[in-house]
Amino acid sequence: MLGNYLIGLREGLEAALVVSILVAYLVKTSRSHLLGRVWAGVGAAVLLSLGVGAALTFGTRTLTYQAQEAIGGLLSIVAVGLVTWMVFWMAGNARSLRGELHAKVDDAVDRGGWTLAVVAFLAVAREGLETALFVWSAVRSAGGGASPLLGALLGILTAVLLGWLIYRGALRLNLATFFTWTGAALIVVAAGVLSYGVHDLQEAGILPGLDALAFDVTEQVPPGSWYGTLLKGTVNFSPATTWLEVIAWVGYVVPVMWLFLRTVRRPASPADARTSAPDARTSAPAAADIRA
Amino acid sequence: MSPAPRVLAAAATCAVALAGCTATTTPTGTGSTIAVRSTDDACEVAPAQAPSGSIVFSVTNGGSQATEFYLYGEDGLRIVGEVEDIGPGLTRDLVVEAGPGSYVSACKPGMVGEGIRAAFTVTGSAAEPTA
Repeated sequence: MLGNYLIGLREGLEAALVVSILVAYLVKTSRSHLLGRVWAGVGAAVLLSLGVGAALTFGTRTLTYQAQEAIGGLLSIVAVGLVTWMVFWMAGNARSLRGELHAKVDDAVDRGGWTLAVVAFLAVAREGLETALFVWSAVRSAGGGASPLLGALLGILTAVLLGWLIYRGALRLNLATFFTWTGAALIVVAAGVLSYGVHDLQEAGILPGLDALAFDVTEQVPPGSWYGTLLKGTVNFSPATTWLEVIAWVGYVVPVMWLFLRTVRRPASPADARTSAPDARTSAPAAADIRA
Repeated sequence: MSPAPRVLAAAATCAVALAGCTATTTPTGTGSTIAVRSTDDACEVAPAQAPSGSIVFSVTNGGSQATEFYLYGEDGLRIVGEVEDIGPGLTRDLVVEAGPGSYVSACKPGMVGEGIRAAFTVTGSAAEPTA
Protein backbone atom coordinates (compact mmCIF):
# COMPACT_ATOMS: atom_id res chain seq x y z
CA MET A 1 0.00 0.00 0.00
CA LEU A 2 2.90 2.36 0.68
CA GLY A 3 4.05 2.21 -2.92
CA ASN A 4 0.68 3.31 -4.24
CA TYR A 5 0.32 5.90 -1.49
CA LEU A 6 3.60 7.54 -2.50
CA ILE A 7 2.60 7.61 -6.17
CA GLY A 8 -0.73 9.23 -5.28
CA LEU A 9 1.06 11.75 -3.05
CA ARG A 10 3.58 12.67 -5.71
CA GLU A 11 1.01 13.04 -8.46
CA GLY A 12 -1.20 15.21 -6.30
CA LEU A 13 1.49 17.45 -4.85
CA GLU A 14 2.48 19.58 -7.77
CA ALA A 15 -1.07 20.49 -8.68
CA ALA A 16 -1.93 21.07 -5.02
CA LEU A 17 1.04 23.40 -4.63
CA VAL A 18 0.16 25.62 -7.59
CA VAL A 19 -3.55 25.72 -6.76
CA SER A 20 -2.95 26.49 -3.07
CA ILE A 21 -0.62 29.37 -3.95
CA LEU A 22 -3.20 30.68 -6.40
CA VAL A 23 -5.97 30.47 -3.82
CA ALA A 24 -3.79 32.09 -1.14
CA TYR A 25 -3.02 34.93 -3.52
CA LEU A 26 -6.65 35.61 -4.28
CA VAL A 27 -7.64 35.49 -0.60
CA LYS A 28 -4.68 37.61 0.51
CA THR A 29 -5.44 40.31 -2.06
CA SER A 30 -9.15 40.41 -1.22
CA ARG A 31 -10.18 38.83 -4.50
CA SER A 32 -12.06 35.89 -3.05
CA HIS A 33 -14.89 36.49 -5.50
CA LEU A 34 -12.60 35.06 -8.18
CA LEU A 35 -12.08 31.80 -6.32
CA GLY A 36 -15.03 30.23 -8.12
CA ARG A 37 -13.14 30.45 -11.43
CA VAL A 38 -10.13 28.70 -9.96
CA TRP A 39 -12.28 25.88 -8.60
CA ALA A 40 -14.05 25.66 -11.95
CA GLY A 41 -10.68 25.12 -13.62
CA VAL A 42 -9.68 22.50 -11.07
CA GLY A 43 -13.03 20.72 -11.28
CA ALA A 44 -12.98 20.68 -15.08
CA ALA A 45 -9.48 19.21 -15.08
CA VAL A 46 -10.39 16.52 -12.55
CA LEU A 47 -13.54 15.50 -14.42
CA LEU A 48 -11.82 15.54 -17.79
CA SER A 49 -8.87 13.49 -16.53
CA LEU A 50 -11.07 10.94 -14.80
CA GLY A 51 -13.36 10.68 -17.82
CA VAL A 52 -10.62 10.28 -20.41
CA GLY A 53 -8.72 7.98 -18.08
CA ALA A 54 -11.75 5.75 -17.60
CA ALA A 55 -12.41 5.64 -21.33
CA LEU A 56 -8.83 4.61 -21.98
CA THR A 57 -8.75 2.03 -19.18
CA PHE A 58 -12.13 0.37 -19.69
CA GLY A 59 -12.92 1.29 -23.26
CA THR A 60 -12.02 -0.14 -26.59
CA ARG A 61 -9.17 2.17 -27.51
CA THR A 62 -5.97 3.08 -25.71
CA LEU A 63 -3.41 5.81 -26.23
CA THR A 64 -0.09 4.80 -27.71
CA TYR A 65 3.04 5.70 -25.77
CA GLN A 66 4.00 8.28 -28.38
CA ALA A 67 0.67 10.05 -28.04
CA GLN A 68 0.94 10.15 -24.26
CA GLU A 69 4.42 11.64 -24.42
CA ALA A 70 3.35 14.24 -26.97
CA ILE A 71 0.37 15.38 -24.94
CA GLY A 72 2.32 15.38 -21.68
CA GLY A 73 5.27 17.28 -23.14
CA LEU A 74 3.06 19.87 -24.81
CA LEU A 75 0.95 20.46 -21.71
CA SER A 76 4.10 20.85 -19.63
CA ILE A 77 5.47 23.55 -21.90
CA VAL A 78 2.17 25.41 -21.99
CA ALA A 79 1.92 25.09 -18.20
CA VAL A 80 5.35 26.67 -17.79
CA GLY A 81 4.31 29.55 -20.04
CA LEU A 82 1.12 30.18 -18.12
CA VAL A 83 2.67 29.90 -14.66
CA THR A 84 5.38 32.35 -15.73
CA TRP A 85 2.71 34.75 -16.93
CA MET A 86 0.88 34.31 -13.63
CA VAL A 87 3.99 35.05 -11.56
CA PHE A 88 4.54 38.37 -13.31
CA TRP A 89 0.87 39.22 -13.21
CA MET A 90 0.94 38.66 -9.45
CA ALA A 91 4.14 40.70 -9.12
CA GLY A 92 2.76 43.53 -11.23
CA ASN A 93 -0.43 43.68 -9.24
CA ALA A 94 1.57 43.56 -6.04
CA ARG A 95 3.26 46.81 -6.94
CA SER A 96 -0.04 48.45 -7.80
CA LEU A 97 -1.53 47.26 -4.55
CA ARG A 98 1.26 48.74 -2.53
CA GLY A 99 0.46 52.05 -4.17
CA GLU A 100 -3.07 53.33 -4.02
CA LEU A 101 -4.47 52.31 -7.37
CA HIS A 102 -7.04 49.81 -6.21
CA ALA A 103 -9.70 50.95 -8.63
CA LYS A 104 -7.52 50.50 -11.71
CA VAL A 105 -6.27 47.13 -10.54
CA ASP A 106 -9.73 45.61 -10.41
CA ASP A 107 -10.12 45.83 -14.18
CA ALA A 108 -6.87 44.02 -14.83
CA VAL A 109 -7.78 41.40 -12.30
CA ASP A 110 -11.10 40.61 -13.86
CA ARG A 111 -9.48 40.29 -17.27
CA GLY A 112 -6.94 37.98 -15.72
CA GLY A 113 -9.65 36.07 -13.91
CA TRP A 114 -10.44 33.46 -16.54
CA THR A 115 -6.77 32.98 -17.23
CA LEU A 116 -6.46 32.01 -13.59
CA ALA A 117 -9.04 29.30 -14.26
CA VAL A 118 -6.94 28.08 -17.17
CA VAL A 119 -3.78 28.06 -15.05
CA ALA A 120 -5.60 26.07 -12.35
CA PHE A 121 -6.97 23.76 -15.04
CA LEU A 122 -3.52 23.14 -16.52
CA ALA A 123 -1.88 22.66 -13.14
CA VAL A 124 -4.25 19.75 -12.52
CA ALA A 125 -4.66 18.45 -16.08
CA ARG A 126 -0.94 18.29 -16.78
CA GLU A 127 -0.46 15.27 -14.60
CA GLY A 128 -4.18 14.59 -14.38
CA LEU A 129 -4.42 12.02 -17.14
CA GLU A 130 -1.44 10.08 -15.83
CA THR A 131 -2.92 10.20 -12.32
CA ALA A 132 -6.34 9.14 -13.58
CA LEU A 133 -4.87 6.17 -15.44
CA PHE A 134 -3.06 5.19 -12.26
CA VAL A 135 -6.20 5.50 -10.12
CA TRP A 136 -8.39 3.62 -12.60
CA SER A 137 -5.87 0.80 -12.77
CA ALA A 138 -6.11 0.61 -8.97
CA VAL A 139 -9.91 0.48 -9.26
CA ARG A 140 -9.65 -2.26 -11.84
CA SER A 141 -7.44 -4.33 -9.57
CA ALA A 142 -9.68 -3.75 -6.55
CA GLY A 143 -11.21 -7.18 -7.13
CA GLY A 144 -7.95 -8.65 -5.94
CA GLY A 145 -7.67 -6.37 -2.93
CA ALA A 146 -8.58 -2.78 -2.14
CA SER A 147 -5.26 -1.76 -0.59
CA PRO A 148 -3.70 -0.33 -3.79
CA LEU A 149 -6.75 1.86 -4.40
CA LEU A 150 -6.90 2.88 -0.76
CA GLY A 151 -3.21 3.74 -0.79
CA ALA A 152 -3.58 5.79 -3.96
CA LEU A 153 -6.56 7.77 -2.65
CA LEU A 154 -4.90 8.40 0.72
CA GLY A 155 -1.83 9.67 -1.11
CA ILE A 156 -3.87 12.12 -3.15
CA LEU A 157 -5.76 13.24 -0.03
CA THR A 158 -2.43 13.85 1.74
CA ALA A 159 -1.34 16.01 -1.18
CA VAL A 160 -4.54 18.05 -0.87
CA LEU A 161 -3.95 18.36 2.88
CA LEU A 162 -0.38 19.55 2.33
CA GLY A 163 -1.67 22.07 -0.19
CA TRP A 164 -4.14 23.34 2.39
CA LEU A 165 -1.37 23.62 4.99
CA ILE A 166 0.76 25.61 2.55
CA TYR A 167 -2.23 27.87 1.89
CA ARG A 168 -2.70 28.50 5.61
CA GLY A 169 1.01 29.09 6.13
CA ALA A 170 1.22 31.49 3.20
CA LEU A 171 -1.68 33.55 4.52
CA ARG A 172 0.25 34.28 7.71
CA LEU A 173 3.10 36.00 5.91
CA ASN A 174 3.05 39.75 5.64
CA LEU A 175 2.12 41.07 2.22
CA ALA A 176 5.59 41.84 0.90
CA THR A 177 7.07 38.54 2.08
CA PHE A 178 4.05 36.71 0.71
CA PHE A 179 4.46 38.12 -2.80
CA THR A 180 8.16 37.44 -2.89
CA TRP A 181 8.03 33.90 -1.58
CA THR A 182 4.97 32.64 -3.45
CA GLY A 183 6.29 34.07 -6.71
CA ALA A 184 9.73 32.60 -6.13
CA ALA A 185 8.22 29.22 -5.21
CA LEU A 186 6.18 29.19 -8.40
CA ILE A 187 9.28 29.98 -10.46
CA VAL A 188 11.13 27.04 -8.93
CA VAL A 189 8.11 24.79 -9.56
CA ALA A 190 7.84 26.00 -13.16
CA ALA A 191 11.55 25.31 -13.70
CA GLY A 192 10.96 21.78 -12.48
CA VAL A 193 8.07 21.36 -14.91
CA LEU A 194 10.24 22.68 -17.73
CA SER A 195 13.08 20.26 -17.04
CA TYR A 196 10.51 17.45 -16.72
CA GLY A 197 9.17 18.41 -20.15
CA VAL A 198 12.72 18.37 -21.52
CA HIS A 199 13.19 14.88 -20.08
CA ASP A 200 9.97 13.73 -21.75
CA LEU A 201 11.17 15.06 -25.08
CA GLN A 202 14.50 13.31 -24.56
CA GLU A 203 12.68 10.04 -23.90
CA ALA A 204 10.61 10.57 -27.04
CA GLY A 205 13.85 11.01 -28.98
CA ILE A 206 13.03 14.57 -29.99
CA LEU A 207 15.81 16.03 -27.86
CA PRO A 208 19.20 14.32 -27.48
CA GLY A 209 21.21 13.48 -24.39
CA LEU A 210 18.91 11.08 -22.55
CA ASP A 211 21.93 9.23 -21.14
CA ALA A 212 24.21 12.21 -20.53
CA LEU A 213 23.59 12.42 -16.80
CA ALA A 214 24.72 15.49 -14.90
CA PHE A 215 24.33 13.60 -11.66
CA ASP A 216 22.87 10.36 -10.37
CA VAL A 217 21.92 10.21 -6.71
CA THR A 218 19.40 7.41 -6.94
CA GLU A 219 21.28 5.59 -4.17
CA GLN A 220 20.93 8.52 -1.81
CA VAL A 221 17.47 9.64 -2.91
CA PRO A 222 15.50 6.65 -4.21
CA PRO A 223 12.36 7.70 -6.08
CA GLY A 224 10.35 5.29 -3.98
CA SER A 225 11.32 6.90 -0.69
CA TRP A 226 9.15 9.49 1.05
CA TYR A 227 11.75 12.23 0.66
CA GLY A 228 12.30 11.33 -2.99
CA THR A 229 8.54 11.48 -3.44
CA LEU A 230 8.25 14.90 -1.79
CA LEU A 231 11.12 16.31 -3.82
CA LYS A 232 9.67 15.00 -7.06
CA GLY A 233 6.16 16.14 -6.26
CA THR A 234 7.11 19.69 -5.32
CA VAL A 235 10.07 20.78 -7.42
CA ASN A 236 10.26 17.84 -9.83
CA PHE A 237 13.66 16.80 -8.57
CA SER A 238 14.84 13.68 -10.39
CA PRO A 239 17.60 11.66 -8.74
CA ALA A 240 19.10 11.03 -12.17
CA THR A 241 19.17 14.32 -14.08
CA THR A 242 20.55 14.89 -17.57
CA TRP A 243 22.72 17.82 -18.58
CA LEU A 244 20.02 19.23 -20.82
CA GLU A 245 17.58 19.24 -17.91
CA VAL A 246 20.08 21.13 -15.77
CA ILE A 247 20.68 23.66 -18.55
CA ALA A 248 16.94 24.16 -19.01
CA TRP A 249 16.38 24.52 -15.26
CA VAL A 250 19.18 27.02 -14.71
CA GLY A 251 18.45 28.78 -17.99
CA TYR A 252 14.91 29.39 -16.83
CA VAL A 253 15.39 30.14 -13.13
CA VAL A 254 18.23 32.65 -13.37
CA PRO A 255 16.71 35.20 -15.78
CA VAL A 256 13.12 34.74 -14.60
CA MET A 257 13.99 34.94 -10.90
CA TRP A 258 16.13 38.04 -11.52
CA LEU A 259 13.37 39.70 -13.51
CA PHE A 260 10.77 38.76 -10.93
CA LEU A 261 12.75 40.05 -7.95
CA ARG A 262 13.44 43.27 -9.81
CA THR A 263 9.73 43.68 -10.49
CA VAL A 264 8.56 42.90 -7.00
CA ARG A 265 11.27 44.69 -5.08
CA ARG A 266 11.20 47.99 -6.98
CA PRO A 267 10.66 50.54 -4.21
CA ALA A 268 7.02 51.66 -4.28
CA SER A 269 6.36 52.72 -0.74
CA PRO A 270 7.97 53.00 2.71
CA ALA A 271 6.35 49.70 3.51
CA ASP A 272 9.17 48.02 1.59
CA ALA A 273 11.72 49.14 4.15
CA ARG A 274 9.82 47.35 6.86
CA THR A 275 9.83 43.99 5.08
CA SER A 276 10.52 41.40 7.72
CA ALA A 277 12.99 38.57 7.16
CA PRO A 278 11.30 35.52 5.70
CA ASP A 279 11.01 32.37 7.81
CA ALA A 280 13.28 29.48 6.93
CA ARG A 281 11.62 27.51 4.16
CA THR A 282 12.78 24.30 2.59
CA SER A 283 13.00 25.57 -0.98
CA ALA A 284 14.83 28.82 -0.38
CA PRO A 285 16.08 30.32 -3.64
CA ALA A 286 19.48 31.90 -3.05
CA ALA A 287 18.59 34.89 -5.23
CA ALA A 288 15.91 36.00 -2.79
CA ASP A 289 18.59 37.72 -0.72
CA ILE A 290 19.32 40.31 -3.40
CA ARG A 291 18.60 43.76 -2.08
CA ALA A 292 16.46 46.01 -4.27
CA MET B 1 -0.05 40.73 -21.22
CA SER B 2 -3.60 39.51 -21.28
CA PRO B 3 -3.82 38.13 -24.84
CA ALA B 4 -0.71 35.99 -24.43
CA PRO B 5 -2.16 33.48 -21.96
CA ARG B 6 -5.28 33.12 -24.07
CA VAL B 7 -3.19 32.32 -27.10
CA LEU B 8 -1.23 29.77 -25.13
CA ALA B 9 -4.39 28.15 -23.84
CA ALA B 10 -5.86 27.97 -27.34
CA ALA B 11 -2.66 26.47 -28.68
CA ALA B 12 -2.73 23.85 -25.96
CA THR B 13 -6.30 22.88 -26.73
CA CYS B 14 -5.60 22.56 -30.45
CA ALA B 15 -2.49 20.53 -29.81
CA VAL B 16 -4.28 18.09 -27.55
CA ALA B 17 -7.18 17.76 -29.99
CA LEU B 18 -4.81 17.17 -32.89
CA ALA B 19 -2.80 14.64 -30.96
CA GLY B 20 -5.99 12.81 -30.17
CA CYS B 21 -7.27 12.83 -33.72
CA THR B 22 -4.21 11.77 -35.65
CA ALA B 23 -4.59 8.03 -35.22
CA THR B 24 -2.67 7.92 -32.00
CA THR B 25 -5.06 5.55 -30.36
CA THR B 26 -5.23 1.92 -31.22
CA PRO B 27 -8.09 -0.49 -30.69
CA THR B 28 -7.61 -3.05 -27.98
CA GLY B 29 -8.56 -6.57 -28.93
CA THR B 30 -6.66 -6.51 -32.21
CA GLY B 31 -2.92 -7.09 -32.20
CA SER B 32 -1.18 -9.20 -29.62
CA THR B 33 -1.15 -9.04 -25.85
CA ILE B 34 1.99 -9.90 -23.94
CA ALA B 35 1.71 -10.66 -20.24
CA VAL B 36 4.54 -9.19 -18.18
CA ARG B 37 5.00 -10.01 -14.54
CA SER B 38 7.35 -7.67 -12.71
CA THR B 39 8.59 -8.57 -9.25
CA ASP B 40 11.41 -7.29 -7.06
CA ASP B 41 13.99 -9.45 -8.76
CA ALA B 42 12.45 -10.86 -11.90
CA CYS B 43 10.77 -9.78 -15.10
CA GLU B 44 8.78 -12.46 -16.88
CA VAL B 45 7.72 -11.56 -20.41
CA ALA B 46 5.51 -14.22 -21.94
CA PRO B 47 5.79 -14.77 -24.85
CA ALA B 48 9.04 -13.01 -25.69
CA GLN B 49 7.97 -12.31 -29.23
CA ALA B 50 5.03 -10.94 -31.18
CA PRO B 51 4.02 -10.23 -34.76
CA SER B 52 4.60 -6.70 -35.97
CA GLY B 53 1.88 -4.14 -35.54
CA SER B 54 0.05 -3.19 -32.39
CA ILE B 55 1.42 -4.87 -29.27
CA VAL B 56 -0.08 -4.54 -25.81
CA PHE B 57 2.19 -5.28 -22.85
CA SER B 58 -0.03 -5.95 -19.87
CA VAL B 59 2.33 -5.38 -16.94
CA THR B 60 1.40 -6.73 -13.51
CA ASN B 61 3.41 -5.69 -10.48
CA GLY B 62 3.87 -8.59 -8.11
CA GLY B 63 6.63 -6.86 -6.17
CA SER B 64 6.73 -4.57 -3.17
CA GLN B 65 7.83 -1.36 -4.89
CA ALA B 66 6.39 0.67 -7.74
CA THR B 67 7.82 -0.52 -11.05
CA GLU B 68 8.16 0.58 -14.64
CA PHE B 69 8.27 -1.32 -17.90
CA TYR B 70 10.29 -0.16 -20.90
CA LEU B 71 10.62 -1.44 -24.44
CA TYR B 72 13.91 -0.35 -25.95
CA GLY B 73 15.19 -0.61 -29.48
CA GLU B 74 17.92 -3.03 -30.38
CA ASP B 75 20.61 -0.75 -28.96
CA GLY B 76 19.04 -0.83 -25.52
CA LEU B 77 18.97 2.98 -25.46
CA ARG B 78 16.20 4.20 -27.75
CA ILE B 79 12.87 4.13 -25.92
CA VAL B 80 10.10 2.63 -28.04
CA GLY B 81 7.58 2.69 -25.20
CA GLU B 82 7.36 2.90 -21.44
CA VAL B 83 4.76 2.72 -18.73
CA GLU B 84 5.57 4.13 -15.29
CA ASP B 85 3.96 4.29 -11.87
CA ILE B 86 2.83 0.69 -11.78
CA GLY B 87 2.16 0.47 -8.07
CA PRO B 88 2.36 -2.80 -6.16
CA GLY B 89 -0.56 -5.02 -7.11
CA LEU B 90 -1.58 -2.98 -10.14
CA THR B 91 -1.73 -3.92 -13.80
CA ARG B 92 -1.13 -1.28 -16.45
CA ASP B 93 -0.87 -1.53 -20.21
CA LEU B 94 1.73 -0.26 -22.61
CA VAL B 95 0.59 -0.09 -26.21
CA VAL B 96 3.19 0.27 -28.94
CA GLU B 97 3.26 0.10 -32.69
CA ALA B 98 6.36 -1.94 -33.52
CA GLY B 99 7.89 -3.08 -36.77
CA PRO B 100 9.85 -6.30 -37.14
CA GLY B 101 13.20 -6.47 -35.40
CA SER B 102 14.98 -7.04 -32.12
CA TYR B 103 14.07 -5.12 -29.03
CA VAL B 104 14.97 -5.12 -25.37
CA SER B 105 12.35 -5.32 -22.64
CA ALA B 106 13.14 -3.98 -19.18
CA CYS B 107 11.36 -4.00 -15.84
CA LYS B 108 12.60 -1.45 -13.33
CA PRO B 109 11.43 -2.24 -9.82
CA GLY B 110 11.86 0.86 -7.66
CA MET B 111 11.84 2.89 -10.90
CA VAL B 112 15.63 3.15 -10.95
CA GLY B 113 18.58 1.92 -12.89
CA GLU B 114 18.99 -0.20 -15.97
CA GLY B 115 16.36 -2.68 -14.93
CA ILE B 116 15.96 -6.40 -15.52
CA ARG B 117 16.40 -6.79 -19.26
CA ALA B 118 15.67 -9.45 -21.83
CA ALA B 119 15.48 -9.71 -25.58
CA PHE B 120 12.14 -9.29 -27.30
CA THR B 121 11.55 -10.12 -30.93
CA VAL B 122 8.96 -8.71 -33.29
CA THR B 123 8.40 -10.98 -36.25
CA GLY B 124 6.88 -10.34 -39.62
CA SER B 125 7.60 -8.64 -42.92
CA ALA B 126 8.80 -5.07 -43.25
CA ALA B 127 5.56 -3.80 -44.76
CA GLU B 128 3.36 -3.93 -41.70
CA PRO B 129 0.03 -2.08 -41.67
CA THR B 130 -0.14 1.01 -39.47
CA ALA B 131 -3.22 1.72 -37.35
